Amino acid sequence: MKNISRRQFVKHSSLATAGTLLLPRFLNAFDQKSIQNNKNRKLVVVQFSGGNDGLNAIVPYTNDVYYKSRPNIAVPSNKVLKATDNLGFNPKLKVLQNLYDSGDVCIINNIGYPDPDRSHFRSMDIWHTASASNEFLSTGWLGRYLDGNCTNCQNPHHAIEVNDALSLALKGAQMNGFAMKNPTQLKNTTRSKIVQAVAKHHHDHEHEENVAYLYKTLANTISSADYIYEKSKIYSSKTAYPKGQLGKELKQVAELIISETDTQIYYVTLGGFDTHNNQVNKQERLLQGYSEAMSAFVKDLKQNDKWDDTLVMTFSEFGRRVAENGSRGTDHGAGNNLYLMGGKLKKQGFYNEGPDLMHLEKGDIKYTVDFRNVYATILKDWLKTDDQAVLQKTFKSLGFI
Amino acid sequence: MTEEQKIQHLYWRAGFGLSPTAFQQKRKLPLNKVIKDLFKAAKKIQPVQMPHYNLPSAESFKAMSKAERLIKKKEIQKLTPEINLNWVRQMASDDYSCLQEKMTLFWHGHFACESKRFDYAARQINSIRAQALGNFRDLVLAISKDTSMILYLNNQQNRKNKPNENYARELMELFTIGRGNYSEQDVKEAARAFTGWFSDRKTGEFKFTERQHDADSKTFMGKTGNWNGDDIIDLILDRKETATFLARKVYRYFVNEKINDKNVALLAKVLYQSNYNIGTMMQTLFESDWFYAKQNVGVKIKSPVELLVGMSKVLNLKFGNAKSVLFPQNYLGQMLFRPPNVAGWPGGKTWIDNSTLMLRMNFAAVVFQRVELSLELKDQPEQPKARRLKNLDISGDVVALTKVFSNVKEADLGLKLEGYLLQVPFGTKDSFIETLAKEAETSEGQIKAYVLGLMSLPEYQVC
Repeated sequence: MKNISRRQFVKHSSLATAGTLLLPRFLNAFDQKSIQNNKNRKLVVVQFSGGNDGLNAIVPYTNDVYYKSRPNIAVPSNKVLKATDNLGFNPKLKVLQNLYDSGDVCIINNIGYPDPDRSHFRSMDIWHTASASNEFLSTGWLGRYLDGNCTNCQNPHHAIEVNDALSLALKGAQMNGFAMKNPTQLKNTTRSKIVQAVAKHHHDHEHEENVAYLYKTLANTISSADYIYEKSKIYSSKTAYPKGQLGKELKQVAELIISETDTQIYYVTLGGFDTHNNQVNKQERLLQGYSEAMSAFVKDLKQNDKWDDTLVMTFSEFGRRVAENGSRGTDHGAGNNLYLMGGKLKKQGFYNEGPDLMHLEKGDIKYTVDFRNVYATILKDWLKTDDQAVLQKTFKSLGFI
Repeated sequence: MTEEQKIQHLYWRAGFGLSPTAFQQKRKLPLNKVIKDLFKAAKKIQPVQMPHYNLPSAESFKAMSKAERLIKKKEIQKLTPEINLNWVRQMASDDYSCLQEKMTLFWHGHFACESKRFDYAARQINSIRAQALGNFRDLVLAISKDTSMILYLNNQQNRKNKPNENYARELMELFTIGRGNYSEQDVKEAARAFTGWFSDRKTGEFKFTERQHDADSKTFMGKTGNWNGDDIIDLILDRKETATFLARKVYRYFVNEKINDKNVALLAKVLYQSNYNIGTMMQTLFESDWFYAKQNVGVKIKSPVELLVGMSKVLNLKFGNAKSVLFPQNYLGQMLFRPPNVAGWPGGKTWIDNSTLMLRMNFAAVVFQRVELSLELKDQPEQPKARRLKNLDISGDVVALTKVFSNVKEADLGLKLEGYLLQVPFGTKDSFIETLAKEAETSEGQIKAYVLGLMSLPEYQVC
């Protein structure tokens, strides 16, 4: 990877030229100003898909209701990594304990929204679009951030989802984020003979709007693929990441951040949290994978002086029911917890009290913090943008950063 | 536009484009005859095929243990992709009315609803099909009594003393009259009128449960009476705004996302005056000169299903298993029976991002050259593990194409194929596609090269 042959180099540079050759008609000057103020600030979103059981992640280890509701699956108090007098971490979540000790994490309890929806897809859409529960939006909150702040960005890699497909969160009305599993694969896809030939094909006549849009997307895809591929060769991480998918993906993100890629937002997903049966092993395996990958990521960024410029948000579409079900699992619930990590947090440790298990709503934890307040805080205080324009409503900043 | 181009435009919008054989048969016919034939063929209702499965009777289901029932339920859910596959095959086949299929697809997006069980999915899509060109009143009534919809929008929980407004609200906001034409009080009153409209959990049939129905007086849109669900639908349809709302939706889908108010007003008038006869409105649309105007041709980004089925028509694609239709649908963002939410697929440019465009452009190569793109879908809850695009069982052939285009002179072949495949000009002459085709030694090879090239173009993504 590091030592590319001369021939390869020539190939790449001719490609880069090919990319720019077809660009002029779409080329706008990259508007540095719009993202200048906060250019170095990165946001990394980690999505737990399937509904992570927050109660077994951040454990209320002195709460009788918790242990009575979960005779088979509660985390025994002697195994909990204790943080406060009544809250502690799942033993597999060592990263949270470490970051808690170093003041690099802020945990928000009872996160959710009014009239919670218990369908994975709908609830995830609500999180992605930042809509109310009875409102249907077709753009995502980060997509709308791009719409407002990146209208002149030449290339879509301002926000990268480390995946083959792009999530709704990153789709705006005018701008989209960029889906990319890994730079080499992306490059290979755009280098198929046909795609290159199409892109190079000279177009004399004006295209109808939609066809023009397709050609523009194609041109942007190719130039972003080239750019990211070049950037990806600058720095190869020496930190040991765990083997799983998330480890690979976070390593990818760290390398791009450390190479000072023009990307501000990164989005990764970890699936498998829909633990209706035999939850304990399944969830703990996932949490352990997350903990190890995240520990490596933090270490990598700290060593390269990037941790202070980074904010990581980890969320899931909903929490799970307080009481366990008949198959040593839990069903879809509502209120949950959310983790924010970074070197510049203003509020460290627990943002608020743990859940009130005496007063549930239909067997679920009631939300006390709307997730859109978290988004508003990130948009306003971290990305320094007009949060109301993005969220289309006013949500108070929580002041954690 | 030549008559031949008009027929192609018609077939793209009223169907999924022409198969080579149909192209040869129709291209020289008078346009008005082609339109008439489309509507004639659509008269015969052809339900989607059910997979072979012995559904347990209500009694035997009741007699099962909880564990047995769970197993059965999973089996039944697992078969939903088979309905998807059967429907796609049906859309792609010339043995079925493409207009009926297209209208059914349109209404499936309009009455967006997730169906988890294959039998409910088939039932819903077949009752839509039966009314797809019929009377909108019958269609919306059938949907209001449809099990999937009753479960999806919580009418099952809509009880006399505890109304659930979900269905009543979406009925007005998304299915009939649109925002701004009713009050919150109307939503409440309509919900009361639909109380007790349940699905029988055992049979999956509609069941009106009188003791859960609120039979008291309601005031809806200014009119007071002992309204039930049927009455509410009648009252909504009495309003001209409903016809306008539907005409706009039809116009955006079948003509152009950019609305022309005059044309929409005409469609709305026809719909209202025909007492909501959908077929009458659609025939007016396809017979209007403006439908064939230059600004309305080649301006629609094909939905993933339109793209997939359109390619199938040309290449006689064979989908070996359900996965082969599910993966591209899922990856490209339009999974049948799984719309993103009750508002349906937003369509247009939202189909396109860097990853969907790459797959769209490479898809012909995947089919033709068995090119393996190693793409993966995210792990999704309630879904089998992430699947790869590898191992897709899709194959096609150019037999029909070769038969139809074999007599064309070599020098004209590119132009002719471009005319057949694209709705907007590309300029195949002297392009890389021609270079590619000239490398081929046989005429079949040439046809393949042209088709592969043309189908990989951004121009092929619009119709």
